[in-house]
Amino acid sequence: MRTSLQAVALWGQKAPPHSITAIMITDDQRTIVTGSQEGQLCLWNLSHELKISAKELLFGHSASVTCLARARDFSKQPYIVSAAENGEMCVWNVTSGQCVEKATLPYRHTAICYYHCSFRMTGEGWLLCCGEYQDVLIIDAKTLAVVHSFRSSQFPDWINCMCIVHSVRIQEDSLLVVSVAGELKVWDLSSSINGIQEKRDVYEKESKFLESLNCQTIRFCTYTERLLLVVFSKCWKVYDYCDFSLLLTEVSRNGQFFAGGEMIAAHRILIWTEDGHSYIYQLLNSGLSKSLYPADGRVLKESIYPHLLCSTSVQENKSRPFVMGYMNERKEPFYKVLFSGEVSGRITLWHIPDVPVSKFDGSPREIPVTTTWTLQDNFDKHDAVSQSIIDYFSGLKDGAGTAVVTSSEYIPSLDKLICGCEDGTIIITQALNAAKARLLEGGSLVKDSPPHKVLKGHHQSVTSLLYPHGLSSKLDQSWMLSGDLDSCVILWDIVTEEILHKFFLEAGAVTSLLMSPEKFKLRGEQIICCVCSDHSVALLHLEGKSCLLRARKHLFPVRMIKWHPVENFLIVGCADDSVYIWEIETGTLERHETGERARIILNCCDDSQLVKSVLPIASETLKHKSIEQRSSSPYQLGPLPCPSLQVESSCKVADAKFCPRPFNVLPVKTKWSNVGFHILLFDLENLVELLLPTPLSDVDSSSSFYGGEVLRRAKSTVEKKTLTLRKSKTACGPLSAEAQAKPITESLSQGDNTIKFSEENDGIKRQKKMKISKKMQPKPSRKVDASLTVDTAKLFLSCLLPWGVDKDLDYLCIKHLNILKLQGPISLGLASNEDHFSLMLPGWDVCNTEMIKDYSGVNLFSRKVLDLSDKYRATLPDQVGIPRGLENNCDSLQESNTIVYLLSRLFLVNKLVNMPLELACRVGRLQDGNDVSDVWCTLGKLTDFCSFRMECAHNKVRSAGNDILNMSSFYGCSRNGKNESHVPEADLSLLKLISCWRDQSVQVTEAIQAVLLAEVQQHMKCLGKIPVNSQPVSMAENGNCEMKQMLPKLEWTEELELQCIRNTLPLQTPVSPVKHDSNSNSANFQDVEDMPDRCVLEESESPGEPRHHSWIAKVCPCKVS
Amino acid sequence: MATVMAATAAERAVLEEEFRWLLHDEVHAVLKQLQDILKEASLRFTLPGSGTEGPAKQENFILGSCGTDQVKGVLTLQGDALSQADVNLKMPRNNQLLHFAFREDKQWKLQQIQDARNHVSQAIYLLTSRDESYQFKTGAEVLKLMDAVMLQLTRARNRLTTPATLTLPEIAASGLTRMFAPTLPSDLLVNVYINLNKLCLTVYQLHALQPNSTKNFRPAGGAVLHSPGAMFEWGSQRLEVSHVHKVECVIPWLNDALVYFTVSLQLCQQLKDKVGPGPSTFIRGRASKGPCHTLRVR
Repeated sequence: MRTSLQAVALWGQKAPPHSITAIMITDDQRTIVTGSQEGQLCLWNLSHELKISAKELLFGHSASVTCLARARDFSKQPYIVSAAENGEMCVWNVTSGQCVEKATLPYRHTAICYYHCSFRMTGEGWLLCCGEYQDVLIIDAKTLAVVHSFRSSQFPDWINCMCIVHSVRIQEDSLLVVSVAGELKVWDLSSSINGIQEKRDVYEKESKFLESLNCQTIRFCTYTERLLLVVFSKCWKVYDYCDFSLLLTEVSRNGQFFAGGEMIAAHRILIWTEDGHSYIYQLLNSGLSKSLYPADGRVLKESIYPHLLCSTSVQENKSRPFVMGYMNERKEPFYKVLFSGEVSGRITLWHIPDVPVSKFDGSPREIPVTTTWTLQDNFDKHDAVSQSIIDYFSGLKDGAGTAVVTSSEYIPSLDKLICGCEDGTIIITQALNAAKARLLEGGSLVKDSPPHKVLKGHHQSVTSLLYPHGLSSKLDQSWMLSGDLDSCVILWDIVTEEILHKFFLEAGAVTSLLMSPEKFKLRGEQIICCVCSDHSVALLHLEGKSCLLRARKHLFPVRMIKWHPVENFLIVGCADDSVYIWEIETGTLERHETGERARIILNCCDDSQLVKSVLPIASETLKHKSIEQRSSSPYQLGPLPCPSLQVESSCKVADAKFCPRPFNVLPVKTKWSNVGFHILLFDLENLVELLLPTPLSDVDSSSSFYGGEVLRRAKSTVEKKTLTLRKSKTACGPLSAEAQAKPITESLSQGDNTIKFSEENDGIKRQKKMKISKKMQPKPSRKVDASLTVDTAKLFLSCLLPWGVDKDLDYLCIKHLNILKLQGPISLGLASNEDHFSLMLPGWDVCNTEMIKDYSGVNLFSRKVLDLSDKYRATLPDQVGIPRGLENNCDSLQESNTIVYLLSRLFLVNKLVNMPLELACRVGRLQDGNDVSDVWCTLGKLTDFCSFRMECAHNKVRSAGNDILNMSSFYGCSRNGKNESHVPEADLSLLKLISCWRDQSVQVTEAIQAVLLAEVQQHMKCLGKIPVNSQPVSMAENGNCEMKQMLPKLEWTEELELQCIRNTLPLQTPVSPVKHDSNSNSANFQDVEDMPDRCVLEESESPGEPRHHSWIAKVCPCKVS
Repeated sequence: MATVMAATAAERAVLEEEFRWLLHDEVHAVLKQLQDILKEASLRFTLPGSGTEGPAKQENFILGSCGTDQVKGVLTLQGDALSQADVNLKMPRNNQLLHFAFREDKQWKLQQIQDARNHVSQAIYLLTSRDESYQFKTGAEVLKLMDAVMLQLTRARNRLTTPATLTLPEIAASGLTRMFAPTLPSDLLVNVYINLNKLCLTVYQLHALQPNSTKNFRPAGGAVLHSPGAMFEWGSQRLEVSHVHKVECVIPWLNDALVYFTVSLQLCQQLKDKVGPGPSTFIRGRASKGPCHTLRVR
């Protein structure tokens, strides 16, 4: 995920399924971490009173999570590691929810132990791993690279479980493991560190056959340093650690399977079972040491025996298996906690008394459940927050309950969200409106029944949707396909809302609808492929309204569809790795291959590039994938389905290639259930880019800004249209660059124009103007974007503002920025890299225990935000020069100016906090020097620095550096250049402050909110203080930059109105952007720059030149004013 | 209209009953069947602890190829380990006969068989933990169990069907080359692996590349079977494969095991198809196709 992408999750009423497969409590005992079969991790807040509340979901694994463990000394870094079924490993920061490190190794781990020996080891320590491979792997905790392994000299086998024995007595750490075959092995740990680091083979010191299978846990008693507890699925045994002689065996009764155990005190043992029961035993000693016959445990008379003291159990709901754990180091209020997670997603805690005792009559005492909680409880408790994006509309429809969305699809080009419901209806809405109605408070403005359509044709729940035009621009824009549970596929015209054709496939539920690639055509048309739940595949010809092929021989679910254009073959890859080749024309099965041959067929298709793969996993979101042409997909289809929400991959697609748009909706569907939710994606960079008429006043940066993207986009064949769209969008961008070349007088006259316009714009004339513009026949597609952009920006700001912190501020925001208050706290997403991100859950805000309750505010990300915000405001110069002076002239103008300013600030903060550390250091150093030197010197340094980065030609870093410059220079511009000598300085100190935050590991979201709050407060304060004083004359004195900003803004405000009217019209075919000439400047916009030219420009540039440009960037605005 | 509604309500009740039966009885029947098949499969691997203890029995396999008889091997398999090996190699140049055997004290674990065996026992463990006394509440529960079992079975099968692709240095470094007495000459490499149901032995004859050789040195990547001409660097030497000999022998019980895997995978999938994503979908799906369809028409 691109860092400038901000995500907001719109959950439904139902929580996403979370079948817990692993559970742990962090060392600070504030957080419970669970891993799920679906592949997500969940962080739960554990309060001092042992109350649980879910905080956030971490996405990243594409397969079931197998184990969790801490990955650092927790008091220093709150890191944990997770491993998944497919070999993925991730290190997460539990506090921020960010993925710190990730790796995919060809090993499946079932248990991980963190080991660190501070005085013998450099680095962050080791992760000792065992699983479906021989012996024990040693993985570096920081880099996740394999360091070495502990080898067995005898009977190497998979290892089931392990524990680290830290014996104070002999000052040596040992690793105890039990293999699948029941072999206990011991390795020296601390004394073999050197050997491991030198990659020498380290073999076990001792081994002993334990004569039982399926070992679950091995635990060393730290209290006596004598006993060893080994839990097998059918029995548990106690050994003497000194000589591994067997002291006690207890066999399970009534068919229970033991799952684990712990030594909770000297001679006191806690054992738990797979069905969620647990038992506490007292080991009664009967002359233990005297009757010992060392080295012959087998004939040993059992000298200790267990006495059951207490037990715990879960009431109903026996969904197996339970994963449990025990924690007895809780610090503040000292608790011993037994915890369990269920497949159903429920977490249960028991508070184990310090001294468990049986009842007076000697019978075991039952320990009651202390707390129990599920994700769904969170959703029920905070139901205002957990509404789906569509609830408002479906509620409107019949009033009786809300429809469950079973499938959805977002059309970026039209900003439409199509939702198929369980009752067979399909709802089509304007996505942004829907999001606003869902998120924002009251305001008839929003809820003024945004136009939505309801298509009724299906009798069963709609299981899949496809918008063909989104995949190939050649197809009719009004076509939409939907498939239902009854294997009926309907071709709709979404403009006229009528059914064009109904296909009855007479197969299973339609699990996915796909389209053949552009290369593959039959009778001049691309064809549609329907994958059904009964493993059959049907091909549909839309134009001919006919079904071409029904392939029904597949025994296993279809995993892959490939097209062979030359020979007209459909190649179907199934879950059992077999391949079926169908001849499309005749509908006959040409070949059926399994094993090696099947693999070759599928692979060679990839190489020849004749065919294109689309991946029909039952996830809606993957459809994006088919557009992307990369053959090396991040997720390889393993031999079996990777059970997951396929968000990560699709997210990647959505942002990397798919997001030339500031706003996007990502529908997410989960496996094993029909629960889905939506993620709103705001591309901050794109937003600023679109709103900002002058991203930078110099040509270079803008070209580098766009150039990369153009190149990127040019790769994709489908994007042709967006490219043109894009051109028109950015046409307003280079304006100032061009304007700067003009003599000042001309720009002054332009200023006059603006004033006239702004005067025209408000008041009665507006009505008339609108009518005129309405008449204009071809509506430039850019306009749709423009109004959308402003709306998006407002929604985005609404989402980020900490409402309710300051009531006056809220009022001012609503009044002056024309944004609406949030209904409740939003669930923000935080991306840590391309495919790892976290989403807040409803009720995350109550988790902030440090949050003082006297703030009735909603959406305050953390307490820290307020402090940060104060600090930031202190650094802000008193003389704020947010462009104003037009307050009296045009409110909307002022408003959008402020919005642009705020957004660009946020973008800058986001960039800074996310900046790679190395670069940050450089900036920091430069800033340190800045204190003494004067402004010009600083600027020179900065540009030097910038050009240095260019020489390095490190693309990523360069762009980051550039952006900072861009932003700060913009900052200068927008601050009107009133007082050049101090503005950049203040600016730099702000930069420094924000860089500081990053070092203090302030989260991005916190930083962004703090800055937003401070800026808004500052701005609003000024608004309140300063009387309306500006006049047209002073206007003209203002820098040209500002004028340029305002111009497009003017257009937008018109267009906003226009859009309102146009909204009622069903569909707008995008036409080539034609400028309306009501604005004298628009002609300039259009032909200033052409995209390809820019690319060339950038490439031909020598590294030294940018310096020159950025100088201009700094100087020009000053000259003008 | 009312009658139609009533009819569907009645149908619905019937179908719900049917689904309950499926969860309570049919699922367990299939699980029992699966367990039986997999137990049979695991017997083939002579799982330790599965009944008769004691050392696994030894089986001798004579490896040969249909074409030449330059390499002959007699390998003794004891469970998942090679306990003895006799390799006879007729050098193509001088018709000299070389003979190597395993050292008496050493065994070589066939990782592929061990992994396959462990995966099967994992699958069996998953199944036994849901015996008759366990009641499935939802279809999703069954699906998840089946997915987990299928994952283990697919892995077991894939371990046998896809031998590791090793680079030549990896083969040279493997412990197998150190297993022989007398020690292997430095111009020979030996690799043993399972491919489908066959035990395969490959012998690579090497010759050193002259440092000033005009040949373009390009180290070969990983492969199951390297072809003559593959080059690699070992120590300070550059070597090239001159001859490759591959001999193999079918292990009958591996064949059985593979068949059992395939059958049980199909059983799992069929159960998944029967259960579907859940009762509601089950009912809907059936209602739309089954006899009720005709009812509605009437």
